[in-house]
Formats: sequence, C-alpha cells, structure tokens
Amino acid sequence: MLKSLRHIFNRCTNNVLTIERLKSGYGKKQVLFDVSLDVKEREIVAIIGPNGCGKSTLLKTICGVIPAWKGDIDFNGHRINNATPAQNVCRGITFAPQGSRVFDELSVAENLEIGGFHLSEKQRRSRTDEILQLFPVLERRLQQEAGRLSGGEQQMLALARVLIPSPKLLMLDEPSLGLAPGLVEEIFAKIAEINSQTGVSILIVEQRVRAVLALSHRVCSLKLGKVALFGNAAELGEDSEKLKQLFL
Amino acid sequence: MQLVANIIIAASTILLVGLGFALIYRVVRFFHFAHGVVFTSGPYAAFLLTTRLGLPLAISIPIAVVISAALGATMELAVYRPLRRKGSSPLVLLMASLGIYVLLQNTISLAFGDDTKSIRPNTISEGIRVFGAVITPVQLLTVAISIGLLAAMIVFFRQSIMGKALRAVANDPVLANISGIDSDRVIFWTFVIGSALAGIAGIMVAMDVDMTPNMGMNALMMAVVAVIVGGVGSMPGLILGAVLLSAAQQLSSWFLGSQWQEPMAFAVLLVFLLFRPQGFLGKRVKNASI
Repeated sequence: MLKSLRHIFNRCTNNVLTIERLKSGYGKKQVLFDVSLDVKEREIVAIIGPNGCGKSTLLKTICGVIPAWKGDIDFNGHRINNATPAQNVCRGITFAPQGSRVFDELSVAENLEIGGFHLSEKQRRSRTDEILQLFPVLERRLQQEAGRLSGGEQQMLALARVLIPSPKLLMLDEPSLGLAPGLVEEIFAKIAEINSQTGVSILIVEQRVRAVLALSHRVCSLKLGKVALFGNAAELGEDSEKLKQLFL
Repeated sequence: MQLVANIIIAASTILLVGLGFALIYRVVRFFHFAHGVVFTSGPYAAFLLTTRLGLPLAISIPIAVVISAALGATMELAVYRPLRRKGSSPLVLLMASLGIYVLLQNTISLAFGDDTKSIRPNTISEGIRVFGAVITPVQLLTVAISIGLLAAMIVFFRQSIMGKALRAVANDPVLANISGIDSDRVIFWTFVIGSALAGIAGIMVAMDVDMTPNMGMNALMMAVVAVIVGGVGSMPGLILGAVLLSAAQQLSSWFLGSQWQEPMAFAVLLVFLLFRPQGFLGKRVKNASI
C-alpha cells in the first residue's frame, strides 16, 4: 500500500528516475549500499567517484543487466526492479556501455537498425532520419563497417544508436574513455546538444570530473558503493577542496 | 570431370549441415552436437510419413523438414534454455548436447532398427551426363537446393531485421542484450532455421545413398571440420572449407580407395588446428565483457 502510494507520488513529481536504498552487486559480492538518487525531466546527472566505487554497477543495475538485490528503482511511476533490458528499452531507458561499444561487424546503418529493433520498420526509418541530422558524420558512412570507424566516430555511433528508440532516460558509461582530448570536448558538446534538443534526461558516469561537472545540472558522488554527496554540479565544480576529499 | 562433379556434390551437403551448425554456434557459442541427430530425423520422418501413412514424397518431405526444425527448437526450449538460465558453462551445454545426440540416435535405432532404410523412388533412374560426368537427378537437385538455400540465407542475413539481430547477437551478445534484443527469441529462430537446413540435408543424402540411424554423426563431423577449416563465423570461409574438405575426401577415395575418406578429413582438420587455428577466413575469437 505504502509502496504503491510512493509510485503515485513519483509520478506526480517531475522525476523520470527515482532510486531508493538500492543494494546490488555481482554474485555474492555487494557493490552498492543503499544508494538513493533521482533524475528529473530534461536533467543531466553526473555520477563520479574513484575507481571501483560502483558507478558502472549502478547503471547496469538500472538497465537490468544485473539484478537489484533490494530497494526501489522507479521509472515514470513504474517499479522496474526486475525488468529485463529489452523491457526497459521499450519503456524508454537506453544504455551505452563503456568503451564506445558498437557492433563492429555490422554496418553503421545496421547498428542504428539494431538500436530500434523493437520498433516497426516505418518508425525505425523515420527515427533514423531524425537522429542522423544530429550526427552528420555518420550519414556519410552508413554502409561502412562500424569496426572501421575512428574512435570518435564509433562513440558518435554508440550515442546515435541509443537515441533511436526515443528514450526518456539515456545512461552513458564513460563516453570519453579512450578518446583524444579534442574529441572528448566534441563528444561532451554533442551530449549537451542532445539534451537541449531532445529534452532527454541523462545519467552519465565519467572520470573526467571537471568536464562532466560543467555539463551536468546535478552530481552524485559515490564512494565505496555509498552516496557521498548528491547536489548541485556547478557548486561542486568550484569547490576544489571538497572535490579532492571525494576522491581520497 | 566426374571427380569435380563428385567434389561439388559432396561439398553441397557438407555446406548445408555446416551452415546450420555454424549459424547455431555463432549465436549460442557451444558445439551443438545434437545437430547430427536433427540431420538424421529428417529422412526418418520422411520415411515414416511415406511408408506408414502412405503420403507421396512431395508432401512428406516438407512435413519432415518442419519436424526437424521443431526437433531442434524443442532441444533449445527443453534443454539449452533452462541450462543457460542456470548459468551453465559452454562445456555443460556441450555435454548436454552429446547426451541428446546419443539418446535420440538410440531412440531412432529402437524405433526403426539399425538396418538401412530407403526413401528412394523404386525405379533406378539413369544418370544425366553433364560435361562428361554422370550425375543422378537427386544429386543435381542437392546441388541446386544447397546453392539456393545459401543464397536465401545471405539475403536473410543482409536484409531482414531478424537476420541482422542474429548477427548482432553473434557479434556482441552483451551489447545486443542491452540494446533490447530479446536474445532468447533470436536463439529460438536460429535453432528453427539451422535445424530445417539439417533436415533438408539429411533428406537429400538419404535420397542419394539411403539412411541408417548413425548417418548423422558422420555428416556432423564433416560439417564441424568444414566450419573449423573455413573459419568459424565466416560464410565465404565455410564454402571454401566445404569445397576443400570434399576435395580432400574425393581425391583420396579416387586415388587411395574410399576407406581413406574419413581419415583424410580429420588429417585436414589436424593440419588446420596446428597451423591455422582460425581457419581460412576466420578472425581470432575475442572475449567480450562490459
């Protein structure tokens, strides 16, 4: 009773995603301890923290790759603790895992089609046309094998692929990983553009803390699987002392 | 010329079995040995339908192919999927697959007997002369069917969303899962298609040289060798592998005697495993993780 009331409440706020006291991990090893956070409509929330603090685990748990042990994951008023990745994609959560992951043996066009696997042929085509306007680089290389794209182009393709199903929440795991500094700026600018143009909420895990703080509205800092801080991103960006502490 | 014709005929059945086997391997990543008994199930189903129910071959063959497809799909639903859910390793799945093979081959032995059964039309038709080689109509049909099915598979992989999803699952199963592809559904259809191909191949072989309950093991072994020699996951490689393997077999039986066919096939396999384990056109297998 209380739980269903809470979901109704979540639907009334403008929260896209609400996580409460989430516990999760791999096998018997617990990684996340009572993590709570929320993402509002049109908002970019950054997740930062030292290596092994559970950033990627959090994203994988939300999208359903690994099961949630306890707690609550609420997406638009639906409890999605036990949802499969496929169900979550249909609901509007997409996830781009670490390392510019694309289907390297498939062509660029086929990668985009796979992104819209559950859509109808017609929807898939119109969505692809829309998304390609955001990524002119890809439009020229539709027939090329994705494995032959440069690192930056592969990351662009990974972003384009997860945008095809018109998600309400986009989860990005270190989109800057392995990219040259100039390309990192380009990718971050693209993420900001995606957010302002499509209004999609974004949950982003990053190691490049200063860059991601400049991009985000709010920030959640994890430490050993617990939330160490959840607050305004710009404020934390100016507070070097506090930042240092969070990574100690 | 007769030699060339024999090579092409042998290659086309190896190709059909290998195509189904490689298709399934690429998606589930274990050697589905029970594919051999799916191959055997095709001709026996056709035999049952023609002799017991008195159906003409033209009707019983399509039904038999459907039965083979259903048999392969049932293995996936009843055995492999529950095992995958439990997180079983590829080795466990391989053992399960061998178990199914032995169980079903013996079931066929018990039901039909170990003697040779035939679905050949009674009249012995005279061979056709093609470029100086003598070929029976069934052999010609076998070659035509395997080329046709190969072309159909290529179109399926390149054009249909299911074919693309299948390649995506083979390319990166974890990413495919995250992208919202229901991998169970893809695996199910892979078994249906691969098993139908095996059933067709079995029927074609039986129309040519009759059937025994253990015919599947030989066919499967040749397919496995062709797949490994060609390079796992490469369609052109598989064609090359099938042709090379049947060439080695036919040449050895032509010059040394037919008892050398199988040893020669495995000699080819050993040479490749030792000196070029990725096959003709295969890539080195890479491990995926997130």
